[in-house]
Amino acid sequence: MNTGQIISGTAHIGLIAFAVFGGAFKSDPLPFEVTSVTAISADEYAALIDAPRAPEAVANVDTPEPPAEGQGLPELTSTSDAAPDLSQPEVTQTPPPDDVPEVVDPVPVPEAEVSDEPPVMQPPQEDIAALVPEVSPRPQPRPAPRVAPEAVAPPEPDVAIDEVERQETVPDAEAAENVEPETEATAPEESTTEIVTEAEQVDPASAAPSRSVRPKTRPAQPQPAEQTQPAEDTRTAARPQPDESAVNDALAEALGQAGGADQGAPSGPPLTAGEKDALRVSVQQCWNVGSLSSEALRTTVVVKVRMGEDAKPVSGSIELLSSSGGSDAAARQAYEAARRAIIRCGANGYDLPKDKYDHWRDIEMTFNPERMRIK
Amino acid sequence: MMRYILSLLTVLMLWSLPATAQTGPLRIEITEGVIEPLPFAAPDFVSDSTTGAEFGRRIAEVIAADLTGTGLFREIQPEAFISRVTSFSSPVQYADWKAINAQALVTGAVSVDAGGQLVVRFRLYDVFAGQELGQGLQLVGTQDGWRRIAHKVADQIYSRITGEAPYFDSRVVYVAETGPKDQRIKRLAIMDYDGANVSYLTDSASIVLAPRFSPDGRQVLYTSYESGFPRIYVLQVGSAQRRVLEQQDGTMSFAPRFAPDGRRVVYSLSSGGNTDLYMMDIGSGTSTRLTNAPSIETAPSFSPDGSRIVFESDRSGSPQLYIMPSAGGEAQRISFGQGRYGTPVWSPRGDLIAFTKQSKGRFHIGVMRTDGSEERLLTASFLDEGPTWSPNGRVIMFTRETQGAQGSASLYSVDISGRNLRKVPTEAGGSDPSWSPLQD
Repeated sequence: MNTGQIISGTAHIGLIAFAVFGGAFKSDPLPFEVTSVTAISADEYAALIDAPRAPEAVANVDTPEPPAEGQGLPELTSTSDAAPDLSQPEVTQTPPPDDVPEVVDPVPVPEAEVSDEPPVMQPPQEDIAALVPEVSPRPQPRPAPRVAPEAVAPPEPDVAIDEVERQETVPDAEAAENVEPETEATAPEESTTEIVTEAEQVDPASAAPSRSVRPKTRPAQPQPAEQTQPAEDTRTAARPQPDESAVNDALAEALGQAGGADQGAPSGPPLTAGEKDALRVSVQQCWNVGSLSSEALRTTVVVKVRMGEDAKPVSGSIELLSSSGGSDAAARQAYEAARRAIIRCGANGYDLPKDKYDHWRDIEMTFNPERMRIK
Repeated sequence: MMRYILSLLTVLMLWSLPATAQTGPLRIEITEGVIEPLPFAAPDFVSDSTTGAEFGRRIAEVIAADLTGTGLFREIQPEAFISRVTSFSSPVQYADWKAINAQALVTGAVSVDAGGQLVVRFRLYDVFAGQELGQGLQLVGTQDGWRRIAHKVADQIYSRITGEAPYFDSRVVYVAETGPKDQRIKRLAIMDYDGANVSYLTDSASIVLAPRFSPDGRQVLYTSYESGFPRIYVLQVGSAQRRVLEQQDGTMSFAPRFAPDGRRVVYSLSSGGNTDLYMMDIGSGTSTRLTNAPSIETAPSFSPDGSRIVFESDRSGSPQLYIMPSAGGEAQRISFGQGRYGTPVWSPRGDLIAFTKQSKGRFHIGVMRTDGSEERLLTASFLDEGPTWSPNGRVIMFTRETQGAQGSASLYSVDISGRNLRKVPTEAGGSDPSWSPLQD
């Protein structure tokens, strides 16, 4: 260790020590307002709360009286009747003179009832809140014909079933210039998250949680249904996409690479995790494994698909790359189910960023049904 | 030194940059799908004659009912169809079927040939892929057997789409029950798997129990109290001729089941208060004893390869399931859950064992792996019992009896996933079903 380092070290330590202990960071306290607070116990607080309520209750009691102005007498007679009724059985049961004060006690009871009402109102609210988690049974999946990652409540009876929820639109006379295509109201089909067997669905009393629910996947991103709105078309049309590809081509040419359309690594930023997720969620909504054999449900297939620039799968481009876990026949069923999923959910085009076409022109999708077997 | 480390880090960072950039196609993995019935369209089969058109309509109905009955398919009602199929050979308008979300389309034609035989042709299309699934097929049969032809077409569609072996062209033998609980009349009956074409094999003179199909579907074993004691009989399905199989005085024999070779029968014999398992060679009539325990051993069922037998025994104190070699020998317990287990039946695929379980006052039909793992209860009711497997090992049929003096027994079926529980239509009450193999 040379002298320079020692000097440097000493100087630094000294500086830090000055900063910490020398008051360099201290400053005058900022002015602040002082409010005096009195600490009270929970009982006192309850008393405070009760105190203002008691008159309210009395006021409530008062309100019935005005309409019954002329009939105050029957009420009096009824209370006096109650007192003898109570006293008689007591006297016959236990003759000792101690009973007399007990007889007196019931008489003020009607008065106490008036003041008791507010406290009676409050505790139940707390009790109910505390009891709810214990009493309410575990939310049981309803039996539904469709099992999907997300449970969906039964749609309205007159609503068409579709992958996405859509409001009904009708031609608007006022906005005649901006005519929206007339669409039918749609809603996703009723679904449940797991198969509910009869042995599982009966007897809510024994519905104690036996296992925790699997964490859900991310919520679905907006679906390609937006394309039914003309606004989407104008927006996409406004994008300078042709220019960009031309620039890309020019760049590729300038760099001496083979034409960008068919070969070479795609340029530009890759798809974000969110964009990939949106595609994954779109495909899995149509991946129906319900009609697959048990063996096909053990088969993982890798499927290749070529996408058009309109984000629709190119027909005839879907091919099976590889499979694992099952026979050739099972792989064929699994592949056909995967193909149906890709074509069906891509019929209106997937929600993919058009400016990143080079990145999603060729897609390899692995369909792994392992988690679907457990359901 | 520091400079060296810094430069190394810089090199590493620069090197890793191209690795994060994407090369080749975009790769995504799909692990969550949906399970829902696949929508299909089955328009009436076309025909150039009125007789054929009537058959075409009925055949399409049976096909749709078969497929819908599995719970794996959903029929699109003809009212929703956009295009009409007028000719079997004309090209399919895929767009019209896509528009109504028909993922599979069945078209067919029916004609009656010179000999009066029914000729049925059909094609199956994957609408969204825009291509045919498999080849077109032609089936010929008698007019009386039109339902079997329809079942065979449905079988083809089912296995082409699911990859599962078919089961529609099969039959079920069961005990038809009529009358109140205390005076019930029981007869052996046979029907198509869907409840059609019922015929009775025995009269109502004596109580009959537990019919079981032979592996070729031509014979039925059953237990009858005709002689006053339970005895095992074997009956020819075609001729309804029957003969007693086991007759030792002072014994009771019951719970018979064929070996997969069809030449041997395993059954329970009760003698001197003890019940054990025996195997009989049908040809020679000689029996060998398989178990020798003071406990009750009953309800034996072969594995499909014939090497092992699963049975029910109370040797541990309560009825449980055990597996032993088919020649007898040491048995291994496979059921360890709470409750009582009984009537085990080995799946035709060999991978699962179906059973009846009684637990907490309820009866269940369940399945487990052959080592006892992955037990899964499929049903729950006052009384469920006697499971039998469909020929492809995908569906289980069983008896459900309702509570009370007015209670009656009926046949139910359920998918091995626990979905699609439904009642099998029978003329009267029914119990003890046994599913035949797929017919030739």
